[in-house]
Amino acid sequence: MRTFVADLHIHTCLSPCGSLEMSPRTIVAAARARGLDLIAVTDHNAAGMVDEVTRVARAIGLVVLPGIELETREEVHRLAYFDDLASCLDFAAEVYPLLPDRANDPESFGDQVVVDADDTIVYTEPKLLLNALALSLEEAVARIGERGGLAVPAHVDRTPYGLVTQLGFGPESLRFPVVEVDGPFRPEECGPGAVLWSSDAHRLKDVGSRVSVFRMNGPVVDEIRGAAVGVGGRSIEIRRGAQCSEAAG
Amino acid sequence: MTLRDIVRQLELKVVAGADWLDRDVSGGFSGDLLSNVLASARPGDLWITIQRHVNVVGVAQVAALSGILLAGGEPPAVAVLAKAEEMGIPILLSRDGAFELAGRLHRILVPGAR
Repeated sequence: MRTFVADLHIHTCLSPCGSLEMSPRTIVAAARARGLDLIAVTDHNAAGMVDEVTRVARAIGLVVLPGIELETREEVHRLAYFDDLASCLDFAAEVYPLLPDRANDPESFGDQVVVDADDTIVYTEPKLLLNALALSLEEAVARIGERGGLAVPAHVDRTPYGLVTQLGFGPESLRFPVVEVDGPFRPEECGPGAVLWSSDAHRLKDVGSRVSVFRMNGPVVDEIRGAAVGVGGRSIEIRRGAQCSEAAG
Repeated sequence: MTLRDIVRQLELKVVAGADWLDRDVSGGFSGDLLSNVLASARPGDLWITIQRHVNVVGVAQVAALSGILLAGGEPPAVAVLAKAEEMGIPILLSRDGAFELAGRLHRILVPGAR
């Protein structure tokens, strides 16, 4: 059994709202500076940065869990985590046609670029990523499951885009094995599920500001599920992360 | 019909974009899901919403709306107003709810309608 200090919700420069400074190099450096063992790259409706961040992270022994943050029809955000890059990329490719054909306007929403390990821009995503997929919450959860992924409702208590705030459920009605909580909800309010804290970093200074500490055998979806229910001594503990005023990089 | 005419007739407060009130308003759209507005509002529409997230400004810009009419009285955050000024998107504020505003705006824009 190992301990993983994890920040499982980090945006990159591919998300329009993600700062351009969020490159593989700077994210990995920031994660190391703040003592993280495990991170997830979760861009809005896209997974184009997972591969490059993983490559850079591997060199220093930092583990990257492949992920994506979907925005479903209800404008509710849903994180999906996968064990391997291929499953994540296949899933991203599956949902891409469900994203409306609305072009991004970088001046209005921000740039959407894939950059490599040397901070060079290698691709510019033309479609606006911060838009709702033609996919319901239930369909999204089913499709994530079909690909072997773990579906986690993101920042359930945030306005807008949170499950509870957007659809009006009470916190006690949350019926998911794992939920990400952002603001006022206390873990004991959130139904039977385990609570995750992550930074939802859009800027470098926020990487690792909120973390979940896992006790589990490895950084895979089944172990996270096990930690959520506490099987065999596995556990999840939420806490504020290392404060860091200086941008790494 | 310009935004200025509508501001006067509906007694709205201009909280951002006061320099662009001569913009023509060709119609109206009411909704709070940003993706729905992006998909269905027409260029020139005045958008009635309770949504106050900063992304309303980007949505209005990308969808070429004439302005944003915020229902329910609460002013948006300073960052939203700053973004609207920067992008040249007028934001109008009313204490009335979206239902009443839509009805009054419809009477102004489509005078013959019952």
